[in-house]
Amino acid sequence: MIKKLKIQIIVVLFLMSFLFGGFVNVAQTVKAAQNNATTVENDNVFRVGMEAGYPPFNWTQQDDSNGGVRIAGNEEFAGGYDVEIAKIIAEQLGKELVIVKTEWDGLVPALQSGKIDAIIAGMSPTAERKETIDFSDIYYKSDLVMVVLKGGAYEEATSIHDFSGAKVTAQLNTFHYSVIDQINGVLKQTAMDNFTAMRVALQSGIIDGYVSERPEGVSASAKNKNFAMIEFSEGFVTNEEDTAISVGVAKNSELTGKINEILAGVSQEERQQLMDEAIKNQPGTDTEQSSISWVVSILKENGPMFVRGAGMTLLISMVGTILGFLLGLIVGVIKTIPVPVKKARRVLQRIVHALLAIYVEVFRGTPMIVQAMVIYYGSALAFGIHMNPVGAAIFIVSINTGAYMSEIIRGGILSIDKGQYEAAQAIGMNHFQTMCNVVLPQAIRNILPATGNEFVINIKDTSVLNVIAVTELYFQTKSVAGNNFRYFESFFVACVIYFVMTFTVTRILRYLEKRLDGPANYSMNQMQV
Amino acid sequence: MEKIIEVQHLSKSFGTHEVLKDIDFTVKSGEVVCIIGSSGSGKSTLLRCINLLEQPTGGKIIYKGENILDDKHDIYQYRTKLGMVFQQFNLFNNHNVLSNCVVGQVKILKRTQKEAEEVAMKFLKIVGMDQYIKAKPKQLSGGQKQRVAIARALSMEPDVLLFDEPTSALDPEMVGEVLKVMKELADNGLTMLVVTHEMGFAKEVSDRVVFMDQGVIVEEGSPEQIFQNPTQERTKEFLKRTLPELA
Repeated sequence: MIKKLKIQIIVVLFLMSFLFGGFVNVAQTVKAAQNNATTVENDNVFRVGMEAGYPPFNWTQQDDSNGGVRIAGNEEFAGGYDVEIAKIIAEQLGKELVIVKTEWDGLVPALQSGKIDAIIAGMSPTAERKETIDFSDIYYKSDLVMVVLKGGAYEEATSIHDFSGAKVTAQLNTFHYSVIDQINGVLKQTAMDNFTAMRVALQSGIIDGYVSERPEGVSASAKNKNFAMIEFSEGFVTNEEDTAISVGVAKNSELTGKINEILAGVSQEERQQLMDEAIKNQPGTDTEQSSISWVVSILKENGPMFVRGAGMTLLISMVGTILGFLLGLIVGVIKTIPVPVKKARRVLQRIVHALLAIYVEVFRGTPMIVQAMVIYYGSALAFGIHMNPVGAAIFIVSINTGAYMSEIIRGGILSIDKGQYEAAQAIGMNHFQTMCNVVLPQAIRNILPATGNEFVINIKDTSVLNVIAVTELYFQTKSVAGNNFRYFESFFVACVIYFVMTFTVTRILRYLEKRLDGPANYSMNQMQV
Repeated sequence: MEKIIEVQHLSKSFGTHEVLKDIDFTVKSGEVVCIIGSSGSGKSTLLRCINLLEQPTGGKIIYKGENILDDKHDIYQYRTKLGMVFQQFNLFNNHNVLSNCVVGQVKILKRTQKEAEEVAMKFLKIVGMDQYIKAKPKQLSGGQKQRVAIARALSMEPDVLLFDEPTSALDPEMVGEVLKVMKELADNGLTMLVVTHEMGFAKEVSDRVVFMDQGVIVEEGSPEQIFQNPTQERTKEFLKRTLPELA
């Protein structure tokens, strides 16, 4: 009966991931990601990393209109000025263009570890970055602007010093952030990860403005009626290397020269034309609608993106939780083996215990996002191992869950009455038989609530895995919001999806607990059934 | 009669505390031996040493001519030959009544499920629990649990059944049903070693009574001898305390 129940639950979970993601879609995504991984050694492709969430330089769209290029390992397409430049470069290199969608902070590590060939992501060739990677010649140059709320106190500003006393921020790890210090008396806020976050902060009044570049400012104010762009008559003092944008390439790459040659062939007029087109073509509608109708139209337009993101999130967290549970089970069981009588075995046991303790402490004691960076990029840099991002994500979630679960399982085993062990031993069971037939079934029942907790935490925590280019629900939502500039509505949709997933999982586990416990009283009628 | 278990110079210490001192005694085939004595006298420890739930610190336990305290002896195999009934029943909480009696047969004696179920049903009938085969332990009363525990031990078809105060955790009205089952087993010639506070049972059912005090066997003999003509002062005192009506 319990076996049948297990099958039912697995079916329900798979149905859930089918509903939310389409198992087919997930399978395709995984397959595509694998294809992506296998092309690492392929010389005929030109792999370009970008956020695909920084219009008009780069954005994510649903089809190949306006010259969109399919994103590797994904059902979506990338478009924008960077994509157009990337296409020109790839064509003249005689290679096939592959767009790798990666978080901003993952771009440089991805380049260094050889997961991509170039960064074309509106990135400026700053001195700090030049220490770790090389840059091509400039392919776009822009002025710094400030984006503020329309009708707000700063809309009429002309000088940067008009922002004295204003709360201003900029994107983390950009020169935009360091120039804020030039404003006298500014209240410099903590840097933010991406433009999406800053726009949300601006709209909600947490900040008074953020520093940006002209193209981004034009699109932001064009797409969101609440935003205005300030062009300064008395502006920031900048180096050319800061306001300029270049292609990032690996140190001493032979690509640098080739790319410079190609860029030299693109005239200034052609560049401006490409940028104008990009600003015109960027996604997002600027019609006035209520929040509710926005939610509806977001679902209509970006439904598949949310669905795929949710499917990916569910896949990673489900497989990660199951594998982590098994890993935790093994570690937990090893940790509770009684101290052996023979000395050699005792020493061996102590060594194994020490190793397991290191594993548990290290993975419990460091954030998953940090582990993801270290494992995914580190393995490529140090050992030349190129993991498929989804595989790496599942691996990271599994070992993380394993570390937590091993302690939970150890506790579950210790909570079982000593009499149960003695009774099992008294009929001749060894430690392994005792564990399998008597102790673990009871321990696992006792730790089901904690396991459900882990599953729910995993569903939510997969949102950090976008740093290793996994397009899960949070990353997809950021892309959607980055395109349509409707932050509240987009994240509200994500919020509902996350809740539905976690709530369903919790209910299934509660049902499972009830079924395992059975009724409190025994009725003789049961026998006739 | 054939000796089944022979304990020689057995000792057991917990740290510096010596619980058993130089114990010698034997259980012969078909015998019912009761061990009596006050709490802390070491009688439960002796029983637990016999099936190695406690590791003795010295001495020998000879089972069918072999010392099972030798390193090379297979203790798991040995334990299947000794059934154990605990004070706290210790039924496997994750198994139902039938499964409690089956799991050991299948996993350890490698009997088939069908064979094991037949054996289990035979013994569940003997203890009168065959109506409850689908019940989980938490759905049973203490007396019912203990009868299932007896059936579980019997299902392994052991040479000896060890009882560790089998009625001490029971409500008074349930003691009778368990003692009745034990008496039936004794009458059918099962070899039993019983640690008990039930003096009536010891007197009526046992072939031999062993009185223990402070880790040593003070006196042993037939029930008549121990209960009516004890030779040792400590035995007399113990009996005076537990059975005032004799005095």
